[in-house]
Amino acid sequence: MLTEERILMSTVKTAKKRRWRLRHDWAWMVAFVVPAALLVIAVQFYPLLFSAYLATQDWTLTSSQFSEGFVGLQNFAKVLQNEVFQRAVRNSALITGTAVVLEMIIGTALAYLAAGSSRIIRAVRTLLILPLVIAPVAAGTLWRMMLNSQMGLTNYLLSFLGIQGPDWLGNADWALVSVIIVDVWMTTPFVLLVVLAGVSSIPEELHESAALDGASRWKSFLYIDIPLMAPLLLLTFLFRMLESLLSLDSIYTLTLGGPGYATFTMTYYIYTLGLRSFNLGMAAAASWLFMSFATLALLVVFWLQRRWQTAQ
Amino acid sequence: MLSRSFTKITQRALRILALTIACLVVLVPLGYLLLNSVKPQSEMYTIPPIIFPSHITWEHFEAAFSNPRTLRFLTNSLTVTGITTAVTVVVSTMAAYGLSRMGLRAGVLSLIIFVFLFIRFYPRITTVIPYFLVMRQLALLDTVWAVIIGHLGITIPFVTWLMLIVFQDLPREVEEAAEVDGASPLQRFGLVALPMAAPGVASAAILTAFLSWNEFLIASSVTKRQAQVLSIAVASFVTDRGVQWGPMAAMAVIMIVPMILFALFVQRYLIRGITLGAVKG
Repeated sequence: MLTEERILMSTVKTAKKRRWRLRHDWAWMVAFVVPAALLVIAVQFYPLLFSAYLATQDWTLTSSQFSEGFVGLQNFAKVLQNEVFQRAVRNSALITGTAVVLEMIIGTALAYLAAGSSRIIRAVRTLLILPLVIAPVAAGTLWRMMLNSQMGLTNYLLSFLGIQGPDWLGNADWALVSVIIVDVWMTTPFVLLVVLAGVSSIPEELHESAALDGASRWKSFLYIDIPLMAPLLLLTFLFRMLESLLSLDSIYTLTLGGPGYATFTMTYYIYTLGLRSFNLGMAAAASWLFMSFATLALLVVFWLQRRWQTAQ
Repeated sequence: MLSRSFTKITQRALRILALTIACLVVLVPLGYLLLNSVKPQSEMYTIPPIIFPSHITWEHFEAAFSNPRTLRFLTNSLTVTGITTAVTVVVSTMAAYGLSRMGLRAGVLSLIIFVFLFIRFYPRITTVIPYFLVMRQLALLDTVWAVIIGHLGITIPFVTWLMLIVFQDLPREVEEAAEVDGASPLQRFGLVALPMAAPGVASAAILTAFLSWNEFLIASSVTKRQAQVLSIAVASFVTDRGVQWGPMAAMAVIMIVPMILFALFVQRYLIRGITLGAVKG
């Protein structure tokens, strides 16, 4: 694999003549990049800047077609004092924290259980990753039916075990549990796939020599696999954390944020604020608060990736 | 010796048990959705529930397809997914090739990669509201173009990032040999690098198609009636006052079954695409 360092080295090593040709090609390569760059600037960077501007404006689209003036940091203050926002932050932390830890544990366990190349095990793997391709809106819809306390399948099955199932979507606490269940159901396969790829990149000889030394499989998992895969697991954890924080679709169709504000997450709160109440200023301010946290997490991801790549 | 083979058998049994449970957890909800989509209205809301319908009815699908709006959702979804995927693959593959062969300094390339990562994971809701305003200004609200351009904003950086990994992994010698033989940059890209990167391109195209087909946030913010796609149609049942499980299940089935079949068909490329970004980055 060519890391940037090696590219750099080979570039430095090239002769003068070669360098001229590189510069000659450069125009071509720039031309290759331009369409993508323009689109990213227009659809990502421009709206981002626009959003930073909105965060300082008093603008509710339902009462005015234009901004009603600069308000400085007032939007930020209003958002931070808003009880629904505070609740949304708590909910997001709770849902993402619990769901991602569960996904990591279950996904890693399943990756080991579903490793192998026999036909049956391959079929099992195909089956297990299905939730990954299902649209989150559809997954939310599906679980909305599953978890209906009266007519849904979940409580019906629980009744065979003699358990009186809870009012999943009607009770504030159980609704949070429901959101976590759906998140775990949808994205555990992602962890499974990544861990499976990580395990298969561990040299077989390491396990063999460990087995010769009398190490049990559990021990070789603990002392060989885990340390070797630690960066990968950490990255997967961060990826999943960010994605889970951003998820909106499944909550939308599962609970609509309810009952009351019980399952409002940060993303859902900003969504309703901006695209239902059309309070553009406050929504932008809230999303920049959210953004600062996400950027921090991303810097950690990035740093880890670079470090891991140069270590390889 | 005996006890050792005994623990082996127990281990095996436990493994089979755990995998069976995991498969059931995936399959049972999906089966339940399918059953609900063919269950007669009269058996839908009973307590205790009737899980297996007494007979199969297609009434929910008939109702869905006799509504001209459903066909519009479908054609809109197909148009958006098709155009988004085609444009993304062409534009991103070229961009990734350009970036990987520009001879950029390591620091610059790292910065570009961070920008891609940032675009993929920052809270998208931040740009959705300004994007809505821009589309309103351009009078593109409620057109498939608003949805397509919005999707391109996500898929192009993501796929460029994936293809950058693919191109950096390719052996450079073949291209250098072609260069010595007098191949132009365009020829080196199209005739040398691209064929070698073909499996990566396939993975990228498939991932883009899934992303665009399943996307909800952008589609819901810039469409009202004309340009609505399937994800909006599925979500719209939630806000309706009455409970309409039959039509709701049927619409969800219409949305997910083609993608499940597609996923089974292209499984290898799909898995490669999903793991590529996480494992290598």
